Amino acid sequence: MSVLKSIGGKLKSYRTGGNQETADHRWGMVVDLDRCNGCEACVVACYAENNLPVVGEADCAVSRAFSWIRIERYVEGEYPNVKTGFIPIMCQQCGKAPCETGCPVYATYHNQDGLNVQVYNRCVGTFTCATYCPYDVRRFNWRSYKPQAPLDEQLNPDVSVREMGVMEKCTFCIQRIVAAKDKAKDENRAVKDGDVRPACVQSCPPGALVFGDLNDPASEVSKLAKSPRRYRLLEELNADPSVIYLKRVADEGKNE
Amino acid sequence: MSNHGHDEETKVRVDFKEVNRDIFSVMTDTGPRYYVVMALFAMAAVGLFILPWAYQIYNGQGVTGLNVPVVWGVYLVNFVFWVGVAHAGTLISAMLFITKTPWRRAIARSAESMTLLALFLVTLFIFIHMGRPWNFYWTFPYPNQRQLWLNFQSPIMFDVFAIGTYFTSSVVFLYFGMIPDFAALKHHATGWRKQLYSVLSVGWRGSDKEWHVHGKATMFFASFIMPLVVSVHSIVSWDFALSIVPGYTKTVFAPYFVTGALLSGFAGVITMLTLVRWAFPVTKKYITLMHYDRVGVFILVLSLTWSYLTGLEVFTGIYANTTYETEHLIYKLAVSPYIYLFSLMIFCNTVLPLILILKKVRKSTSAMFVMCLFIIVGMWLERYLIIPNSLSRKFLPYMWHDYMPTWVEGAITIGAFCAFVTMFMVMIKIAPIISPFEVKEDSGVPMEKGGH
Amino acid sequence: MVFGLFKYVDTMADAASKLKTEGIDDIRVFSPVPVDHEMDPVLGEKKNPLRFFTFFGGLSGLFFGALLVLTTAALYVLPRGGKPIWAAPPVLLVSYETTILFGVLMTYFGFLVLSGLIKNFYSTEEKICFPETMDDSFGLLINVRSDREEAVMKILKEFGASEVRTIAWE
Repeated sequence: MSVLKSIGGKLKSYRTGGNQETADHRWGMVVDLDRCNGCEACVVACYAENNLPVVGEADCAVSRAFSWIRIERYVEGEYPNVKTGFIPIMCQQCGKAPCETGCPVYATYHNQDGLNVQVYNRCVGTFTCATYCPYDVRRFNWRSYKPQAPLDEQLNPDVSVREMGVMEKCTFCIQRIVAAKDKAKDENRAVKDGDVRPACVQSCPPGALVFGDLNDPASEVSKLAKSPRRYRLLEELNADPSVIYLKRVADEGKNE
Repeated sequence: MSNHGHDEETKVRVDFKEVNRDIFSVMTDTGPRYYVVMALFAMAAVGLFILPWAYQIYNGQGVTGLNVPVVWGVYLVNFVFWVGVAHAGTLISAMLFITKTPWRRAIARSAESMTLLALFLVTLFIFIHMGRPWNFYWTFPYPNQRQLWLNFQSPIMFDVFAIGTYFTSSVVFLYFGMIPDFAALKHHATGWRKQLYSVLSVGWRGSDKEWHVHGKATMFFASFIMPLVVSVHSIVSWDFALSIVPGYTKTVFAPYFVTGALLSGFAGVITMLTLVRWAFPVTKKYITLMHYDRVGVFILVLSLTWSYLTGLEVFTGIYANTTYETEHLIYKLAVSPYIYLFSLMIFCNTVLPLILILKKVRKSTSAMFVMCLFIIVGMWLERYLIIPNSLSRKFLPYMWHDYMPTWVEGAITIGAFCAFVTMFMVMIKIAPIISPFEVKEDSGVPMEKGGH
Repeated sequence: MVFGLFKYVDTMADAASKLKTEGIDDIRVFSPVPVDHEMDPVLGEKKNPLRFFTFFGGLSGLFFGALLVLTTAALYVLPRGGKPIWAAPPVLLVSYETTILFGVLMTYFGFLVLSGLIKNFYSTEEKICFPETMDDSFGLLINVRSDREEAVMKILKEFGASEVRTIAWE
């Protein structure tokens, strides 16, 4: 009887959308646009941490720069009443990611940490994920990018160097998440808030980026996520992103 | 035969004796000019298709004009285009078989051959557009050491199954129909041809038992392939329609793509038949102006259906007036050069085919030939205006991007046409491009008293 | 065994019908095109179990497709896109395609078996082949005891056979 029940439970779990409830974590990020000043330190930190290739002048000119996180600049209004907004956009690690259904070979799927992961070795480069992604955060290895000296001396040993023809994207610095989980396991405790800090979060001077587990109600991100300024990018598409933006209100009413 | 062919005009009347001889002469009488033309096309195919592809494999997809977010470009356009061309062959042989339309017989075999060769190019274009084409077999479902299967939820995976099934079924159907022809031709042939056709005819003798099972099996094949054709292009359209990209995600896409596929396919059939008739005057006996007339009517109907669906696509987009959809439509309908491409597409696919109302045009090979070339261009543009163009205007304005194909993409596109012509020219010489037994069947069995 | 070659189908049908009334049943027709329509009233409708091959192929394809999608998804539980591991659309689409694929392949296999093409390969009798009937003539092959061959040849000639000959085998 119990065998039947366990089989029944299993079958039921196969029909539940996305196995989200059983995930260990739901890593998420809060981006406080009031604090972001568009300094792009996060972009540089990401390059250094994740072995992003520096594509060179020619490829940069055709906008094939590799940044996994980008600062989008939007200019509003006519001179002299000009308002410039910054919004850092990285992979939104969607709960219902459109890209994941697109990949025919499971190169991108949802893991137990609630992350949308990319398996570089499995990728065959059908571009479907990049097409389906509403945020255009995926980056493709258009050619073999050889790290030029002296940049080859600073490659991160925890992160693989990707081959030509492979799609990649922001991983929320999964190597740091894994390291933090290992350390917590060694110390026989659960991962606590603040254990994991991706490179962009670590390097953000005004502290606009906050990282943590959205499943943990006591974490800083969960608290910030309750803010009335909260919104998620293109929420109407029902992709359920894990990145939460806090609306910029600091200069509201001043420029009008 | 008396059970079909009520319309006397739709019959190809030939003498049984000359059919095998005529068709065998098409296969064997090869002048030096044929070899020269074939060599030129083969060289063009190598120079414009294989070498640029090798260059792209070596250097990566960076040699194309693709860029995030426009990552589906000309290669996908060609992929959809060639799937479309493939569709007419199966339609002629399967759908017109089921409806017992007698005039299909003389042109069905060449149209089916076109299907097969076009599907070959379709497969190649999937691999051409891949970032790591050397790992292409990872997309096939087979038990492997990695113990990892495939994501069957992916629309691309539906494609693998649809096109795999379509390719296999087309090969089986084409070869199956050819068995009696190979058997007939092996008695005319000598040397390597005799050996080849003896093997390929698998001991066919034309006994009543064999014909009976052959007829039954053709019926089953046709019944299987008809829903397959519709499903294949629907699934191809779902590569786009199942995404959330504005301009892709439209419910009308499946019938729209199927109609467009048939339109371009019939245009391809006419283009090819005209070339065959021109190269082998003996085939004029079998491929007659009556066929042009009938296919012309088909093209007219399909063109009108296509125009309706195009209007529907644009109209519903404009009327719904959602932010993203409107941006996409503005880009497609109001920005140079796409407004010109759109107008050209409408001219080629809607305005020009209207002259098919005149029977004179339908019965003129040169007029039909030129018009079909225009339709081919128009249908290619249709896919171009959908695939890269929609990606140019996705959600975030910061990432809006204009796409311009590079010489590699252009060369491979043109080279694919050359490769197609080369393969078709080889095919004409190896396999009967007009089926002797079907032509004979169409003509009616000889009767001494009465009948026909 | 007697073989008669005819130029016209209706005379051949008449000859066959005459032979039938004489009590000769083992008649085979060789033709360049299907002549079921003309010959079936004489020789009787033929039945064959090809549809069972097709049906079995289609049915096995249906189950193969559905099981392939469901079991491979359950072997490795990889959630993607917030969709259930077992979703309806892939099952329907993939089994639709495999139904057609297996149906086509089994129909082809059934054709090879039932038309006797595979058997022909192993039997000397069945290797007898008449090139004229691939071109523009129609042939009747009548299997009778050797003492009746004369009578059969006479009937065939009477109905206008252009050529009549006895065929010896084994």
